[in-house]
Amino acid sequence: MKLKYCAAVVLLAVLVASQGIAMPARAQTPEDLANFDVNQLFASTCGFCHSDGGREAGKGPQLMGDQHDDDFLRNRIKNGKQGAMPAFGGSFNEQQIDAIIIYIRDLKPR
Amino acid sequence: MRKRQNCLASLASVAIAAAFSASTASAQSVDTARIESGGQNDWLTNHGSYKSYNYSPLSQINASNVGNLGVAWIHIPGKSTRGLQSTPLVADGVLYYTGSYSRVFALKGDTGEVLWSYFPELDEALVARQTHSPYNRGVALGEGKVYVGTVDGRLIALDMKSGKVAWDTKLIDSQKLTVGFTGAPLYAKGTVIIGSQGGEWPGRGPIFAVDAATGKKKWEFLTVAGTDDAQKTWGNDSWRTGGGGGWMPGTYDSETNTILWGTANPAPLYDWSGADYKTQGARPGDNLYTTSVIALDLDSGKLKSYHQELPHDAWDFDSAVGEFLMLDRDGQKLVVHPNKSGFVFVYDRNLGVKNVWRLVQNINFVKDIDPKTGELIGRRDFTAGKVESPPLCPYIGGGISWNSGSYNPKTGLYYKIGQEWCMTLEVQKTTPVVAPQVQLNIGADFKMAPPPGGEIYGHLDARDPVTGAKKWEVRFPEPPIASVLSTGGNLVFLPDARGTIHAYDADSGSELWSHSDGTGHQGGIISYAVNGKQYIAVTAGFGGMLSDDYAANFGGVFKSMPRDDGALIVYSLK
Repeated sequence: MKLKYCAAVVLLAVLVASQGIAMPARAQTPEDLANFDVNQLFASTCGFCHSDGGREAGKGPQLMGDQHDDDFLRNRIKNGKQGAMPAFGGSFNEQQIDAIIIYIRDLKPR
Repeated sequence: MRKRQNCLASLASVAIAAAFSASTASAQSVDTARIESGGQNDWLTNHGSYKSYNYSPLSQINASNVGNLGVAWIHIPGKSTRGLQSTPLVADGVLYYTGSYSRVFALKGDTGEVLWSYFPELDEALVARQTHSPYNRGVALGEGKVYVGTVDGRLIALDMKSGKVAWDTKLIDSQKLTVGFTGAPLYAKGTVIIGSQGGEWPGRGPIFAVDAATGKKKWEFLTVAGTDDAQKTWGNDSWRTGGGGGWMPGTYDSETNTILWGTANPAPLYDWSGADYKTQGARPGDNLYTTSVIALDLDSGKLKSYHQELPHDAWDFDSAVGEFLMLDRDGQKLVVHPNKSGFVFVYDRNLGVKNVWRLVQNINFVKDIDPKTGELIGRRDFTAGKVESPPLCPYIGGGISWNSGSYNPKTGLYYKIGQEWCMTLEVQKTTPVVAPQVQLNIGADFKMAPPPGGEIYGHLDARDPVTGAKKWEVRFPEPPIASVLSTGGNLVFLPDARGTIHAYDADSGSELWSHSDGTGHQGGIISYAVNGKQYIAVTAGFGGMLSDDYAANFGGVFKSMPRDDGALIVYSLK
């Protein structure tokens, strides 16, 4: 657990230093970072609307094979779409949103 | 014989004329006694009356003339984000209903002329963060006021005649908890009751009582660990973020001065505890008082009795359905309450189980529920991993959804929609959520699936409400999700998901009439009379947490169906 926490802090420092990432929308504690798991995050929140972990259309669209660029996805996750998707800019920080985008890009059929 | 018939016809005419004349009388205050007596020209509370019958005794529109039904007037509320889910109310010829964003309209019941409207200013940044939003399911009437909840956590009272704000009370810290109110309030004896959203949102799901005259909060009952005993049923401090809530209005029993309310599910929805759910998993224990029916003293909010329909609900089959049919059968006072799982519970007035019956065929989250005790038999408690063979039945949308069925005291039948669908899922072992956060708490990836060996469908059943004995059934290719209305004209009205409203013979289930409303239905349907003329009012407009599934899973008309549109459509005889 300690190792995981250290790795997360180092990763965050590298990301901030190298990419000039904006401050997280919500203050993240070391515990948050240590516990962050994008699969859990997806199953806890995103999967309610994006069926089968984003592999199929449900309440929300299918995400597997999505053709939009990363900026579009980042903007949609942060700001949502009225009447269709909530805005998660106040819930997820930049690193978490990046992880969600990587999760989406890596989606494969089960 | 002929003379006797004529005499009876004359008597009936006099009775009808007398009844209708009441609707032209000057407006009277709506109070508990009036709601309880359930005058036939009005629709004074969400389920029609405290008996929750969703039934109108009016019979001007009946099985012999329903073919002549046509549109009398239409009202477009505008800004119908996620459709229309409201059940209108009517008092003294004026119809009150809500659209999305808790917009309230008062319309002349015979012409649709707008008497007043009220659009509350909402916290838009909050609304943008919410999932179960911005729809609204209706108002309550009482003491010259119209009461409406908002998704940013307020209960507002409007003057019934002018629409002016009488008071505006903030009840929930929605900024912190992300939830507010979408369900209609309930008025009873100087008090307005409203339950919060909750469920998958971490919180403790409060139900509030507010003084109808002043807007001052009287009491608050927490559906998650609302008593010391209940707190012991949440291991590892999981009660702090347990979900719950009571997002549909229940009813009032004046004989015992008791509020009956159904509560929502615990969070996360899907637990990874396996069979050891009492000691393991995300929320070890029974998780009182989620997925329960509760009886609260109207004046104090103290818990009088309860029955937890699904202890440690691990399937999101909550008890939030607001129907509590109050029946007198063979000298017994009974209460019938449908659970989202597809089972219907029959209680005595102290919520002691008298029977449990199945409305839905495809149920496998338990093998059965003991009809004598209500005990779950053969639970399916999942561990982390895939659930595919067989899929979990019913689907997360429920074997029974939140909208209302209808009980017709003339036929003795309960008309209720059942939904036959299932789901595959992959349960995740989640990190415990220890404080309210701006995230859902679901606990699994999932998708809709057909029942084993069959197809997805929905059905309107006519059943005995106590035994569940079925008299007839009508099937639909996609589960309907709007409310059902039955009337003294021997009719049952069902507005379906595709956008067609159907009228059936209440005895046989034969279809007598249908008409397209142009978009899917997912709200209420009522009947009322103004100046001797009977009307049927129905909300149309699709979109929301359940109907958003339809385009992807059923295609067809749902692919092009708007999810930001809606109308109130009112019918009468041509």
